[in-house]
Amino acid sequence: MKRILVLALCVFTLFGLAGCAQSANTPQTASKQDQPLVIATSADLGSIDPAVAMDNAAWKISYPAYDRLVNFKGSSTDVEPSLAKSWDISADGLTWTFHLRDDVKFADGTPLDAAAVKFSFDRLLKIKKGPSDAFPSLENVTAVDKNTVLFKLKTVFPPFLSTLATNGGGIVNPAVMKHEKDADMGQNWLATTTAGSGAYVLAEWVPEQSLKLTVNPNYWGSKPKLNTIIIKIVKDPSAQRMALEKGDVDVAENIPVDQLKELKKNPDLTIFETPSLMVDYVYLNTQKAGLKNPKVRQAISYAVDYQGIIDNVWQGNATQMRGPIPNGLWGYQPDLLQYSRNVEKAKALLQEAGVNNLTLNFMYSDRKPWWEQEAQIIQSNLADIGIKVNLQKIAYAAQREKIDKGDFDLTIGVWSPDYADPYMFMNYWFDSKNFGLAGNRAFYKNDEVDKLVRKAASINNQTERIELYKQAQQLIMQDAPYVFLVQKKYQLPMRKSVQGFVFNPMLEDMYNFQAMSK
Amino acid sequence: MNTSKFVAKRLGQLVLVLLGVTLVTFLVSHVVPGDPARMLIGQRADEQTLAAMRQALGLDKPVWIQYLNYLWGLIHGDLGTSIRTQRPVLNELLSFFPATVELTLFAMGFAVSIGILLGLLSATFRDTLTDHATRILAILGVSTPLFWLGLMALLLFYKYLGWLPGSGRLDPLINPPTHITGLYVVDSLISGDWIALKSSILHLVLPSLCLGYIQLATIARLVRASMIEVLELDYIKTASANGIPRSRIIYRHALRNALIPTVTIIGLTFGELLGGAILTETIFAWPGMGKFVVDSISFLDFPAIMGFTLVVATVYVLINMVVDLLYPLLDPQIKGVH
Repeated sequence: MKRILVLALCVFTLFGLAGCAQSANTPQTASKQDQPLVIATSADLGSIDPAVAMDNAAWKISYPAYDRLVNFKGSSTDVEPSLAKSWDISADGLTWTFHLRDDVKFADGTPLDAAAVKFSFDRLLKIKKGPSDAFPSLENVTAVDKNTVLFKLKTVFPPFLSTLATNGGGIVNPAVMKHEKDADMGQNWLATTTAGSGAYVLAEWVPEQSLKLTVNPNYWGSKPKLNTIIIKIVKDPSAQRMALEKGDVDVAENIPVDQLKELKKNPDLTIFETPSLMVDYVYLNTQKAGLKNPKVRQAISYAVDYQGIIDNVWQGNATQMRGPIPNGLWGYQPDLLQYSRNVEKAKALLQEAGVNNLTLNFMYSDRKPWWEQEAQIIQSNLADIGIKVNLQKIAYAAQREKIDKGDFDLTIGVWSPDYADPYMFMNYWFDSKNFGLAGNRAFYKNDEVDKLVRKAASINNQTERIELYKQAQQLIMQDAPYVFLVQKKYQLPMRKSVQGFVFNPMLEDMYNFQAMSK
Repeated sequence: MNTSKFVAKRLGQLVLVLLGVTLVTFLVSHVVPGDPARMLIGQRADEQTLAAMRQALGLDKPVWIQYLNYLWGLIHGDLGTSIRTQRPVLNELLSFFPATVELTLFAMGFAVSIGILLGLLSATFRDTLTDHATRILAILGVSTPLFWLGLMALLLFYKYLGWLPGSGRLDPLINPPTHITGLYVVDSLISGDWIALKSSILHLVLPSLCLGYIQLATIARLVRASMIEVLELDYIKTASANGIPRSRIIYRHALRNALIPTVTIIGLTFGELLGGAILTETIFAWPGMGKFVVDSISFLDFPAIMGFTLVVATVYVLINMVVDLLYPLLDPQIKGVH
């Protein structure tokens, strides 16, 4: 009896607290245009500060919340005016003058002017995290008058205009400095909130559960059709699939390729498909004794069963790469040498190189679910030409560390460009200044190639650059420092009701929310 | 030894256990290759940026200094800053802990109540159809992988029947109830937020039943076994011979004794449930500590991993202490065990 009394007392005390607490929900009837667009994604986001965030998952939020001087145009690799109405380049290619729109306000109502642009780039360079890498030659930014801003470069950097359209080029409200702590330029505060002029603002973030974007009332562009966007974190791919089929989510990002075939049969769903610029390739550590000889590397490139990988791993949703630059980006060479499986030739090359009983380690991680399958196929392909491959699966963080130190024989990775310039491939992958994680993960050094790619990065003339990159690519294909596997097709299953989605290959896993509807 | 002395001794042991846990976790997470600073700055940053980041995170110092710094922070209630989210680990854990506790408590309530009931039925109607059915149910529970069970439950109750929601703690359009305890059910009850209450209870059903089912099986089997054992004892026979009704013998005389080993298991179960919650949270997109720690592990975010380990270790030790304290209540004979 006593216990019951105590229990009753507890319950009453709890209800007593009710007076202090306000109910957060009232019964509501939602109208059609208030229906949110719901996107399921597999992991919660890290910092969404444009000067800090380095992955597309976080850019999904920051890209529509901030504006940039220029934007990628539709699904193309060109840029179009955004905050900047127009721009001029000095004859030496070092000074860029941008003329800003004068009707832009940040979400809090303060005007966006040249000072805010200068502030954003000063902040980006001072914080000096990943996103600032896209601006290696930027010397300084000056606000000439309210609507004119001047960028001074140290050296000619041809991709410059394109880099302004990356997420790191987002213009941040200088008011963030009110939230500065320990001289962090407001990084801590901006990690979980937005302070831009884009079409949407981050309204709510329940960690590991969901993020909610709502329309920016002060947005200068045309009013978005969707009032609310919800990003829901659903880790398990099967759970995502069920939620999509039921209509609880409109877009599901992480459904494996082999399940998409089934989803195509569902009349309520559509699979958005388009070629992407994301490539999947194997790094051969050219500094390792067994892999020093280009003939051995050619033999490996000839041994791999590209079609088998496309058919089995990708179920046909990928194409074989032809050289480093993917199809769809300028600089791609349609007549470049493309390796195909030729066991006899591979064996002959090994013999010429005088190599037998070669044993190599193939290191990979579970970062991408398809790597294991590809590693196994390549293991058996290389066994066919007498190379023994030991598979070595390690944690992703460890894989990155070992790549950086060159502590591997073979390993695998993906790459997609942040801005639309072959520089993203040619200079990152092959310039011997970029050994390790920085991009040259084959530790490849060819003085002639160094000269060509560096020259191509120092002039603005596109025709000349294409020619330089072409010569470099021809040398590279003979040296075979990587096995150029596949260029992935971008596939995104969504409800049929979702309209207006445009995919830009530079903005993978991101959305043009302001033009979408449901 | 009296109760307060016992509690003091246990708390003293807790400090030692936690010290050991920090040492082991710290060493393991630092021996593993991989550099969280690299993960943070993106893949194309140069050496200088990397060095600056390592310095900012304190990763440039020798490991033992890093460890002492960590302990020093710990004494002051500072669990460090998560490398991945850049927020204080303590705040992160506090924000995810209630979700996990809520899930675990519901799973536990389900497992204990139904588990004891089934065990009891099974023992009382030994070798009948009820017994066999219950035992099959229990064996299935012990041998079913959690992820499979979770997916099947989702398929049936969420996708085909549509009775229950499949992911998260609340409908995304419903605002979380006013934060009081962090347990949505309790909070929405207190603030009279019936919409949130309904949604949060519905969201709890599938994950807590799945998580609880496996423990339910263990409990049911244990209760059955100890009930059968107790029912064979002389005092039960005496009671029977004295004409005491069977139902009274079972509930009053036998069950109480049979529950003593069960209480121990329930204590251990709580720890297992906290661990099992990691998998359940992944399948049902439950925003608890499990999901947080899985993401942290893949990032090698050791302050977060250590914070999680510490919390689980603390809870585990405390629960076992409570279990030990419960024995004398169940069985007045046990006084000297402490």
